[in-house]
Amino acid sequence: MATIAAAPHRARHSRAYRVRKIRNEVAFWLVLGLFIVFAVFPVYWMFLTAFKQVNDLYDPKNNPLVFNLAPTLDQVRYLFDKTNYLAWVRNTAEVGLLVVAITVSLCVPAAYVLARTKFPGSGTLGIGIFLTYLVPPTLLFLPLSQIVVGLGLVNTRWALVLVYPTFTIPFCTWLLMGFFKSVPREITEAARVDGCSRLGAMFRIVLPISVPGILTIVIFAFTLVMQDYVYALTFVSASDEKMVTLGVVSDLVRGDVFAWGSLMSGALLIAIPVAVAYNFFMDTFVRGITGGALK
Amino acid sequence: MAETARSASYQRGVVGRTLGHLLDSEKVFGYVLVAPAIIYIVALVAYPFGIALWFTVTDARVGDPLGKFTGLDNLKAVLDDDIFRRALTNTLFFTLASQALQMLLGTTLAFLLLRKFRFRRTIRAFIMLPFTIPVAIGAMAWNWMLNPTYSVINWFGEHLGFFQYGPNWLGEENYAMASIIIVNVWRNLPFTAIVLTAGISAVPQEIIEAASLDGASFLTRWRKVMVPIIAPILYIALLFSLVFTFTDMTVVWLLTKGNPVNATHVLASYAFNLGILGGALGRGATVSLFLFPVLLAGALFMLRALKARQLD
Repeated sequence: MATIAAAPHRARHSRAYRVRKIRNEVAFWLVLGLFIVFAVFPVYWMFLTAFKQVNDLYDPKNNPLVFNLAPTLDQVRYLFDKTNYLAWVRNTAEVGLLVVAITVSLCVPAAYVLARTKFPGSGTLGIGIFLTYLVPPTLLFLPLSQIVVGLGLVNTRWALVLVYPTFTIPFCTWLLMGFFKSVPREITEAARVDGCSRLGAMFRIVLPISVPGILTIVIFAFTLVMQDYVYALTFVSASDEKMVTLGVVSDLVRGDVFAWGSLMSGALLIAIPVAVAYNFFMDTFVRGITGGALK
Repeated sequence: MAETARSASYQRGVVGRTLGHLLDSEKVFGYVLVAPAIIYIVALVAYPFGIALWFTVTDARVGDPLGKFTGLDNLKAVLDDDIFRRALTNTLFFTLASQALQMLLGTTLAFLLLRKFRFRRTIRAFIMLPFTIPVAIGAMAWNWMLNPTYSVINWFGEHLGFFQYGPNWLGEENYAMASIIIVNVWRNLPFTAIVLTAGISAVPQEIIEAASLDGASFLTRWRKVMVPIIAPILYIALLFSLVFTFTDMTVVWLLTKGNPVNATHVLASYAFNLGILGGALGRGATVSLFLFPVLLAGALFMLRALKARQLD
């Protein structure tokens, strides 16, 4: 008797529970969906614009959210044939690689000693380098523009090779310090007891195990270079010296006329690889920014 | 005889290894290896900053970068300048509004991302897109979405019945300012959210469970339990995002260039306008110097946070 009475009750309870659970689930996906649309829509819009035919793009009667005419590669072709796009890509690769080389060769030794040795002022220097990351381009672009003129680098990509390390060095040094700190001291101490010099311990023991860390700052330095707009805009106006991000957003605008299709196709071609690379290291980036504040 | 030979070889060793020995001193090794990075930063950050300070008290122009000492003339002129005052108010308003929206939406998004759900990694990557693509590219896509004739946002508005004719987003002061704030929030929201996610997920689950067993509501748990624990990470994230928002000009420049009629300038874009486009280095540097107090406050705060951590 008791069991028969209990059974419907349990069923009712579990149905209410299920309804509540489903309602929660729906609300969750609805809100998350709004966030996803907000984040992704501009990129979807870039994609549509890049591959639409001009007649489709500028016809106000069309539904703008879909392809009304067949997609086309005309805009991409225009980008490659009629603009300096390839030169911009080459400039970006060149500047990026040089900045990476400068960054790695200055950051690795600095981060190594700041993380693993104690000397008077080492703590202050470490924090000082990190704080430099807070100094924005918009505070320095006026004096730097005069330094660039003084060095005869005006209107060339070499000006950018000179100034980009001012923001890659602070951030990458800070990130690398974290990596170097995580290599146990005992390993280098053992090597030192066996007669290895400090420099030898660094090159033969710590650096080989820190390759993933160094690779991370290589990618980061390169992405930071591609993210910049302010310095590129300030120092380079000659079209064939431009970086790809600046070139795409400035050279495809003639007066008031925007070549939106080609502009968005160029934008998309940069955005995707940068986003993919960045995404791989997102967690490292967050750890770096917060400086292990949770530890 | 044997003794002389030994001492000679010892001598050679000393000469040969002087450098090595010197580098074996912890002090020398440290200074030598850290020097190149420090020199670079001094030469290209500290020294230019000194020049910027010099610019603010001179009439330096692009044609005459040394200029004459003019004392506080630049400061007076700038404080009298209507566009500057508008830019200063705009910067403060833009920064505060963006930060408030980011914290509000960022916290919501962080809690959503903390749940376990299908395709979590992929969805997270999509949500991060605004932050991971170059900011200039994102701003340009928005410029196109807010185009006076072909705005897709107005298309939505018109088809969903919000209005008959959408506003000229970038052509009218208030709409333009709103657009700048929205684009900035779009760009930085993922960063705020992901830093908060990292913070919240580090809060020990037992503490939260204990609080809810004691009958604490969600808001109480959030304010009294989680916020104090994640405070350090919260402050640092807030600080970075504050400094970057306060000093940025990319979004403004690519959306409005400070227009209509200079109504949407922020400090950084106005300094660029005066100093780089107009060649008035002194005036421009004076405007951008107004960015400094916020940076200094940020730096001091960060210093305190880092020092406190080192003491632990």
